[in-house]
Amino acid sequence: MLMAYASVAAFFLVAIGFILGSLLFGKVIRPNNMYAEKLETYECGEAPVGPAWFNFNPRFYIIALIYIVFDVEIAFVYPVATVFRRWVDAGRGMFALVEIFLFVVILMLGLVYVWVKGDLEWIRSIKGDPRGVQNVSSRTRPEIIKEHDLEEAMPQGAE
Amino acid sequence: MKTGLYLSISPLLVVALGGALLMLAEAFSHHREEHESRSAGPSSELALGTAITLFTGAIFAAAVWFVGPEKLDGSQDLAPWLIIDRFTLFFAFTICVGGGLASLLAGGYLPEHRIDRGEFYPLLTFSSVGAIILAAAGDVLTLFLGLEIMSLGVYALTGFRRGSARSTEASMKYFLLGSFAAALLLYGAALIYGATGHTDLAGIRAALVAGNLNYGLVLIAVTLMIVGLAFKISAVPFHMWTPDAYEGAPTPATSFMAVVVKSAAFATMLRVLLVAFGQPELSSWGAGWPPIIATLAVLTMTVANLIAGRQESVKRMLAYSSIAHAGYILVGVTTTMRLHEDGQASVMFYLLAYTVSTIGAFGALILCGSRGAEAVSYEDLSGLGKRHPAVALVFSLFLLSLAGVPPTAGFFGKLYIVKGAIGAGLYPLSVILLLNSVLGAYYYLRVLVFMYMREPAPGAPFARPMKSGYVTSALVLAAVAVVALGLFPTTSLEVAVRAALAP
Repeated sequence: MLMAYASVAAFFLVAIGFILGSLLFGKVIRPNNMYAEKLETYECGEAPVGPAWFNFNPRFYIIALIYIVFDVEIAFVYPVATVFRRWVDAGRGMFALVEIFLFVVILMLGLVYVWVKGDLEWIRSIKGDPRGVQNVSSRTRPEIIKEHDLEEAMPQGAE
Repeated sequence: MKTGLYLSISPLLVVALGGALLMLAEAFSHHREEHESRSAGPSSELALGTAITLFTGAIFAAAVWFVGPEKLDGSQDLAPWLIIDRFTLFFAFTICVGGGLASLLAGGYLPEHRIDRGEFYPLLTFSSVGAIILAAAGDVLTLFLGLEIMSLGVYALTGFRRGSARSTEASMKYFLLGSFAAALLLYGAALIYGATGHTDLAGIRAALVAGNLNYGLVLIAVTLMIVGLAFKISAVPFHMWTPDAYEGAPTPATSFMAVVVKSAAFATMLRVLLVAFGQPELSSWGAGWPPIIATLAVLTMTVANLIAGRQESVKRMLAYSSIAHAGYILVGVTTTMRLHEDGQASVMFYLLAYTVSTIGAFGALILCGSRGAEAVSYEDLSGLGKRHPAVALVFSLFLLSLAGVPPTAGFFGKLYIVKGAIGAGLYPLSVILLLNSVLGAYYYLRVLVFMYMREPAPGAPFARPMKSGYVTSALVLAAVAVVALGLFPTTSLEVAVRAALAP
């Protein structure tokens, strides 16, 4: 029984051995000639600006989440479409149609929700938005401010 | 078109439809200009709507119970994915009551603490939908689906206080460990499918009875599934996230997690252990899961009670106390190996009693504090009995119920579990449970000592109780339930016995 896994183990050994072997081979035969330009992040000549660790705009996440609505829709409607003719032949076409319609309606509720919330706009308008507070990054916030005060400073529904 | 089918899943449909409507109501009410008067934010009506939705779900569950799910034509059409039996209905009722009371607490808490955003209520409702699916799941796939629907909402509820580092940390911790637990559960499910070729619990059992399997795989699968569920019920040693998550979350969300998530996880634990792995060879003391569950029970009770006694924050103490209660309930789960119906009934009764007592205790803690003067430590509560006798009285009632003092629901919960353990011949477990309740009484009564026998130190800040009709009504409902379950325990126990899964 366990011997059945021997081929898997052999595969792993060969795979790891191949990588290590070829890296070692390259290390031995290639010339080692480093200079400043070669050590740049982008060898094509683009000069990197600033560190790689910075805050991304959270809107990217929201857009990605909205995409899920359509993603799920296509992933589930397509299989239904492929078997729909069989269901019609079995006399249950109406049932399948109503079922998938309800499914899409439920998904669309999600779209309606983000639409009403204004999340389909890249720049979302917020009533009475105190810009100054929002632009203070969390890192530079003085520690003395209590948690509750931050809650209050954040506008309702602001991201 | 079978109406019986729709009637039998009506508790689920009501709550799901209500959640969708609440979501839309929340979105469309957002644009009304009403944020000037902070005291009546958009969420006040939503809290009422959520409570009505969930209580309606509970009423539907009770109605289907009285008709009898077996009499409804087509109620078994969704089996094995969703099994609508009395077991499911009992847990759907408990979940809806717990969720409804938690939403009433939120109706007072969120405006008071200026985190009055309406998303709380649809999230809570959808999470309850997931909990009901979890309680009804007779197939590992729907089980996982319900678990994820339930957990996603709760992760968001935990991090609801967005400006607070503590709440965000709690949410992050809960999310990472929760996903880890879900992955373990799924891994176990995959292995059991590999060993038996079934994902439905009854099919897994049939394959196990037929024999000729790779028992190594089955063993690993059972262990992984128990570990995954033990995370959700926060049994020691998988409890590490609980105190932080419970403390960081807004208190209504904490009560929801402590009550609804735990009930649903215990429901699915009972169903998995008794339906899939319930044949005598796998559920005896010598082999199978009972020794594992018993070990978890002993560890959970003892460790949680010892740590709870050392806490200075009342909310954290309640978090550890909820871990300890999970330990007591695990004793009940262990007794099902010998007393099939009575063991399950004791677990169900305990969960019902625990639901109303815990919601009440967290609610009373909410009521004790107000914005800027929250009740956090024991000292904050000192002298409360003189300054605000009504709040102190109701807090005492719920703490006494959690401690298991006679005329309350908690006493009979413990009594039935101990009775079951003795009846099943598990004497060491019952002795450990009794010793642990004594340990528990120490930290529950300590709150009473501070409320009634201490005066606040001069100049020290003390908690000022808030005023909220929502919280008060939730507390009144919970208090009535605690007293009623304490006065008429046999009726609810008979109901629980009828709800037990068939062997």
